[in-house]
Amino acid sequence: MNITKDKLGALFFFLFSISYGYYALQIPLYPGEEYDVFTSQTMPKLYAILAMLTSAVALLLSVIKDIVTTKNIDDSAKEPKTRFDYLGWTRCAALIALMIFYGLTLEPFGFILSTTTFLILGYLILGERRIKILFIASVPVVLVFWAIMTQLLGIYLSAGELWG
Amino acid sequence: MNEGILLGLETAFSIKNILFVIFGCFVGTFIGMLPGLGPITAIALMIPITYGIDPSSGMILMAGVYYGAIFGGSTSSILINAPGVAGTVATSFDGYPLARQGQAGKALALAAYSSFCGGTIAAVFLLFAAPMLSKVSLSFQSPDYFALLVLGLTAVSAFAGKGQFLKSIMMTLLGLMLATVGTDQASGVERFTFGKIDLLDGISFLLIAMSMFALSEALMSIIRKEDDGQPNVTPSSNMGSLKISKSEIKEIAPTIARSSVLGFFVGVLPGAGATIASFLAYGLERNLASAKEKLKFGKGSLRGLAAPETANNAACSGSFVPLLTLGIPGSGTTAVMLGALMAYGIQPGPRLFLDNPEVFWSVIVSMYLGNIVLLFINLPLIPYIARALDLPKQLLTVLILFFSLIGVYLVSFNAFDIFMMAGFAVIAIALRLFNFSMSPLILGFILGGMLEQNLRRSLTLYDGSVSFLWERPITLTILIIAALILILPTLLQKFRQKTAGMKHNNNADKPILSAQDKPTSELV
Repeated sequence: MNITKDKLGALFFFLFSISYGYYALQIPLYPGEEYDVFTSQTMPKLYAILAMLTSAVALLLSVIKDIVTTKNIDDSAKEPKTRFDYLGWTRCAALIALMIFYGLTLEPFGFILSTTTFLILGYLILGERRIKILFIASVPVVLVFWAIMTQLLGIYLSAGELWG
Repeated sequence: MNEGILLGLETAFSIKNILFVIFGCFVGTFIGMLPGLGPITAIALMIPITYGIDPSSGMILMAGVYYGAIFGGSTSSILINAPGVAGTVATSFDGYPLARQGQAGKALALAAYSSFCGGTIAAVFLLFAAPMLSKVSLSFQSPDYFALLVLGLTAVSAFAGKGQFLKSIMMTLLGLMLATVGTDQASGVERFTFGKIDLLDGISFLLIAMSMFALSEALMSIIRKEDDGQPNVTPSSNMGSLKISKSEIKEIAPTIARSSVLGFFVGVLPGAGATIASFLAYGLERNLASAKEKLKFGKGSLRGLAAPETANNAACSGSFVPLLTLGIPGSGTTAVMLGALMAYGIQPGPRLFLDNPEVFWSVIVSMYLGNIVLLFINLPLIPYIARALDLPKQLLTVLILFFSLIGVYLVSFNAFDIFMMAGFAVIAIALRLFNFSMSPLILGFILGGMLEQNLRRSLTLYDGSVSFLWERPITLTILIIAALILILPTLLQKFRQKTAGMKHNNNADKPILSAQDKPTSELV
């Protein structure tokens, strides 16, 4: 049996539905609420059951399809292949880490410093090495954005908790 | 109705709102032109800006962004054969060959004129259809709304495409599940908050929209390897004439008329939308063409370009009918708009027509205005806007990430939202890798609360009995339609397979790609 995207996707969703269903049962009810027709557990339980059923059917159908059609043919070979590169993955992971870093620094270091750092590091991650471009595409963008928000629209942007 | 139109004209034609339409169309065209970024991303990026302005202007701005993004998608389809939006995939079939023949200017002009005509005709239909449907839907009660919501949620899966039905249902359910996070509005009980104060108010729809669309699309563009190296970009300076001859206008006029009507009605259907409308219109034109004309399709046929372009714009206008009159979004894009309206405290639906007539009518009137802006301002500017395609991808990607993150942060001023966005972006990338579509998820997420409220009310009204499902004729009719919509595509497919099997003739005709077969990324 081939492990295809369809099967894996359905399997993950099935497992997720089970855990969602488990937590749905943990939703607290007020005394006597269990006799009500509709409680705060009703919809989550319904969704969990429907999700489990759908993903189970999807999983079953892909297994049946596999048995019927893949006697000679490799099913995975029929799937439209999306080409991914290692560098792209590394860059993507680095950008996600950078987003978390931005979330961590935004309030303590302030909007201007943290955003400028975010943009410069982001450009660097994606391969931009020209100092001039790194500077032009970050500092003016941040300053203009800051000016529009704070001076024009009157929206507060953190100046940085570390600087008082 | 005349008073309403006058009110709409007054609101939409104020200097401020005209500027918003122009700005919206311009920004939408720019974003829509970037391959991989569609109208949902464009609108999501605009939402933080709209929070600072009144609802009418906000909706006008977003509607402008919507048409702009579709128009921008057509531009990249024609110039580089890389549709920014699924709804403009069919445009590239004949638009790109025209551009390769040195007629990029003509193709762009034709696309703009077709979009203008399609959008205008559909806006007129909308002007009459929306108030009529609004009046009818005033008699709707909770059970009917529950049925309508079920219809909206199932229809988006029914039109999802070959092999995508169950996946769409799963995504809808995931959206519904995410909507249950936070404090239950009726009982005040915490659900799935895991003791986190930041989750007490639930997950904001803007956060979901931004991370599932803007962030994940930007990140996916890094992961996905460019096919065949550099795309064949038609230089913006070498576009040829924008002029269209009288004979060419004569040739495409009937196509535009047919495609407008088809596009509008497909757009009205919940779950259908611009993508399906454009493929259907293309298929219809090809079928109606003479044998000689048929050969031109795919090689630069003017009719082949005009049909999908007219239909996708008409469908955009059509998709506003269920949104404005029933409060049920027909597509991912209108779902995002519904979320924005709800954030304003406005409940779209039959009451919108009565409670907020300025929003209702100004959106309708602004559609016409948006089409004029696209034709008279965006078209001449296309050679300049097209330079966006030359911008370094590494800069654009990071800027999109920044605007998405800061857009959500500026609404909540809570850094936790940025962490959640990073988490949801990872989930969205994983889902995209497993070929799951994001549109049903956002639809489920936005409609989840309404679905629960209406089911709760219906059950209370009927003493806990589910008899409302068959006792109320309107509810029953809507549910039957929902069931038919679910079953019909499968039945039609089976029927087609059967008839194709019976005909053993090897037709030389090249099969047309249909929306059902095309592995489009998102249905707009």
